Amino acid sequence: MSSNDKKRMADVFGARANRRQMIRGAAGAGLAAPAFAAGLQAAGAAGTTRFATVDRAQGTPKKGGTFVCLGDQEVVGLSPEDADPTVVWAVVCQIHDSLYEQDENNELQPALAESYTISPDGKTWTFKLRKGVKFHNGDDFTSEDVKYTYDWIMDAKNGSTRIGNFDLVAKVDAPDPLTVVVTLKAPSPSMLFNVGGTYIYPAKYHAQVGEKGYKAKPVGTGPFKLKEWNAAERTTLTAFDDHFRGRPYVDEFRMDVVPEASGRAAALEAGKADTTIWPLGPEDNQSIKDGGKFAYWDWVQGAINHFPLNNEHPFLSDKEARKAMMYAIDRQSIVDDIFQGAAVVADSNMSPAFKWHTDDVTKYDYDPDKAKQTLDAAGWTGSGTRAKNGQKAAFECIVKTGDTVRRPEAEIVQQLFKDVGIDMQLREEPSPAMLDGMRTGKADAALFNWTYGTADPDATNELSSGGANNFSHFKNAKVDELLKQGLTEMDEKKRIAIYQQIQQIITEEVPFLYILILKATTFYAKRVKGVPEKMLNGDNFIQKVYQVWIEG
Amino acid sequence: MLSYIINRLFQGAIVVVLVSILTFLVMQAVPGSPVDLMIGKQKVSIEQRKAIEHKWGFDRPWYDQYFTWAGNLVTGNMGESVVRTGEPVSSMIKNAALMTLRLNVLSFFISIAIAIPIGMLAAIKRYSWFDYGSMLGATIGVTIPNYWIALMGIVLFSVKLGWLPPYGADSWKSYILPVFVLAFEEIAALARLTRGATMEVLGQDYVTTARAKGLKEKVVISRHVLRNALLPIITVIGYRIAFILSGTIVVETVFGWPGMGRLFFDSINRLDYQVVQAIVLVLSIVIVVVNILTDLTYALIDPRVRIR
Amino acid sequence: MSIDTTGAIRETGPTEKSTPAAGTLATQGVREARSNRNQVWRRFVRYKPGVFGLVFILLLIGCALAAPLIAPHDPFEIHMRLRGHAPSSEYLLGNDSIGRDILSRLIYGTRVALIVGIGATAIAVTIGVTVGAIAGYFGGWVDFVLSRLVDALMAFPLLALLLTLSAVFGPSLRNAVIVIGCSIWASYARIVRAEVLSLREFDYVLAARAAGASDRRIIARHIVPNALGPVIVLASLAIGGVIILESALSFLGLGVRPPTPSWGAMLADGREFLRRYPHIAIAPGIAIAVTVLAFNLVGDGLRDALDPRVTD
Repeated sequence: MSSNDKKRMADVFGARANRRQMIRGAAGAGLAAPAFAAGLQAAGAAGTTRFATVDRAQGTPKKGGTFVCLGDQEVVGLSPEDADPTVVWAVVCQIHDSLYEQDENNELQPALAESYTISPDGKTWTFKLRKGVKFHNGDDFTSEDVKYTYDWIMDAKNGSTRIGNFDLVAKVDAPDPLTVVVTLKAPSPSMLFNVGGTYIYPAKYHAQVGEKGYKAKPVGTGPFKLKEWNAAERTTLTAFDDHFRGRPYVDEFRMDVVPEASGRAAALEAGKADTTIWPLGPEDNQSIKDGGKFAYWDWVQGAINHFPLNNEHPFLSDKEARKAMMYAIDRQSIVDDIFQGAAVVADSNMSPAFKWHTDDVTKYDYDPDKAKQTLDAAGWTGSGTRAKNGQKAAFECIVKTGDTVRRPEAEIVQQLFKDVGIDMQLREEPSPAMLDGMRTGKADAALFNWTYGTADPDATNELSSGGANNFSHFKNAKVDELLKQGLTEMDEKKRIAIYQQIQQIITEEVPFLYILILKATTFYAKRVKGVPEKMLNGDNFIQKVYQVWIEG
Repeated sequence: MLSYIINRLFQGAIVVVLVSILTFLVMQAVPGSPVDLMIGKQKVSIEQRKAIEHKWGFDRPWYDQYFTWAGNLVTGNMGESVVRTGEPVSSMIKNAALMTLRLNVLSFFISIAIAIPIGMLAAIKRYSWFDYGSMLGATIGVTIPNYWIALMGIVLFSVKLGWLPPYGADSWKSYILPVFVLAFEEIAALARLTRGATMEVLGQDYVTTARAKGLKEKVVISRHVLRNALLPIITVIGYRIAFILSGTIVVETVFGWPGMGRLFFDSINRLDYQVVQAIVLVLSIVIVVVNILTDLTYALIDPRVRIR
Repeated sequence: MSIDTTGAIRETGPTEKSTPAAGTLATQGVREARSNRNQVWRRFVRYKPGVFGLVFILLLIGCALAAPLIAPHDPFEIHMRLRGHAPSSEYLLGNDSIGRDILSRLIYGTRVALIVGIGATAIAVTIGVTVGAIAGYFGGWVDFVLSRLVDALMAFPLLALLLTLSAVFGPSLRNAVIVIGCSIWASYARIVRAEVLSLREFDYVLAARAAGASDRRIIARHIVPNALGPVIVLASLAIGGVIILESALSFLGLGVRPPTPSWGAMLADGREFLRRYPHIAIAPGIAIAVTVLAFNLVGDGLRDALDPRVTD
């Protein structure tokens, strides 16, 4: 889990949820807690993790072959700066390493770091780095590279999109080649997610070619190095002989770009690829499972499929009306019939994949009569489209252009709203326009997936008054205060309580309509050996292609 | 003649500049900013976002941005994409154009090779079963949306039969479906046109005269009909070539073909101004130049047409 | 796409442009025809495929007007449980991805197809004829400016233009009509301009001018009606192309606003389910093809009927 994984935006652009939640979610599961509780001491020893989860029954590793992954969109660049979309990340993570990485079971594993210690005030983090690590160009990896990378991101004139992860960082020091000291402005329980997961640039090389040159010719410490980059078609990487975990078994890693979901499914069934990093439709998933050529893992994602609502809109500003809308949506049927069970109903802003999640919230089961009563009671009355004091119970909802999953979903909700007297018009727009419309308040509502807290539960950008991604224009003084506390609360239990309280307020206020959380299915061809039996976050396993081999 | 060419080139240049300003204005009018895509879900505050916009120059007025772009262009720099930042726009377009050309040139030659004989034969054997059959086929070919044929092709040959890959451009097999789909309607259109042109020539006095002289039908056809009928066909081919880079947006989207059409469509959806701008520029230059060339060729071939 | 800048299926556009003679000949045909409408009708009727096309279009119009009476189901009614169900006796063409009746949506979809096809063409003809007539009649710098504008539009790849415009205005039925109409008028302007250039030297135009008629009156009364012949033929051929354009726009997600049933949007939805439920994409594809075919056949028929070179 690197900083970039935290923020896959992919789901806005593609049909489905993204990685970020997962990754962070992962963290939720196991990682940081014990370390923080102890206040000090290091996470696991380095170098022992490689085959920890491998099923021994899979035989002896063999060398050779090409591992093929399918992605849905262009690999726009090869710098960690470009790695927001999952597909790009899946390539970037082969080339780069961070100090700590999150594995497929949501455990944090040391990568370039061996251990860390935290000062008692929680403000000084000292990382011990791994020895003898080489970059693809032969340079040695040292603390200078880490300092350079962090400093580069924090320098506002570089325009890094990862700058927000370093908000709490005061300075970075490299006292000796194998030690990095990060000093924080305030204690931060999310330090390992926000900073520790950042992929490391080679200081000398990056300074020399600049970020622009780096995007086309990256040099990392990762298990694979660049062979050929053809953004729209395919990216080919070759095994790096001097990788610190040892040379990968497969000779090449390839990412093929296939924008059409049905094209990816057909390619998998035809045996043309070993996995796909971007999920398929529920029917396609089923048919590949039935085909028997692939091992698969089902897991719950972290992004919330939701309708953000402009809380300043004359109709949508009425809390009772928003509650009525929740009652009017038959979310269980949408999950069962449209997503064919490949989703779970959302019951707050937080996915149940994370430990921050709580069940103890206001629930909204499908009940159209209750929806009507709630509207009546709130003064929205009349036949056809309801109205109150001349204001119609009507608004417009934006769906991403060409979104063949969420547009039908919006059409269903539109019909359900109509049944209770609410008029929701639909409009398709490209995602930048959709996001801009919600941010500026020019749009009333939209339908897309977003995360409101993940493994790192912070959602200041999303839920605080005036936050950059506060699409619903939600303002709540209590939530603002809780978010602030949560940022620096080092005590795990207290922190959980804070974020559960936020969920309770959200479900009471309903600033947006949370619908469902998708389940993903990760496939690996049966010819691929060295895969684990259990994956709680299938996307993350793509980082570990270095440990698989190809049989036959 | 020379002054005609210069005049046409001058007009063409005005047109190209007009087109580029138009595109720039239109793209500015689209709500949202490409910065949204760069940031994605990264935790970026409103101030940090402004700094990123500033770095990329999106906070400057449109004419300022336009002149920067045009200035760079003069020095041969087509700019850089906001999304695919690692690759200059010029190389992006070059790669995509090559992919599109491969597809189009292939389907174009195939369709010429098939359509012209069919069209001529249909005209010569007018009102025969061959004529009716081929023209019915051609009419249907023109009217079925090509992406639907593409989809059905994928269902049949990739999904059901598993003979051909459904996407990509890696082996000769991947060319079959897209080339066939593009050629299908190309053949239909060209065949209809060829038939019409040939019929017109067949009705001309000199053909009747040639026949009256007792020339063999074969000779009449090859010497007189063929040559004259080719004239309008060549013109149309010229106009088709003008659109050879831009004609395949939908087919490329369906087959995931990494060509100009897909690059253009993706770039619009991500508000990647620089790329959209550059593509439109290239396409319009090609169209303008090829149109001038076509008119000149036409004048050269047909002595009856004089250039004003 | 298969379509040139008029929206006409492509081979008509270039021919019209490239053979300067064609326009004039067709015009003569119109003049002749105006003198004898019965003859045109007789000629048109003789071309059987054209008659078939006309009958089919009339049927479509009937469908569009009487959609609520004909459609077996509510086209908006969602049955989530029937996702992707194959054709059955209850739902003759099956159900789409959220269980709506495909047949009913197809029937309602004729409305969008016809409104866009005819509406956009009407807008294009109006703009094109006006601009072409003004450019041709006044000549000089007016002509130069308007002609360059026309050139610029024609040098803009059509689908590219549509995509950018749709992205600006946002997709909706009204916008689709306007955007398509405003993108395809250039060819009409070019034809009309060429016609007008020759017409304005005709005796009756000179006579009208000598009699002191205003420019506007001369253009409206004497020039435009006589230049309309080739425009009518081109327009009838172009409607089919416009229908394909709309469906391509919808297919790319820039067409009419959901849940309005549009053939292109139905096709786009079906794309996602090609492997499991191919019937979703088959029905709208056939509907588009047959409708476009019908308009083309009528266009062919009209061209023959109005063309003096085709003898009785």
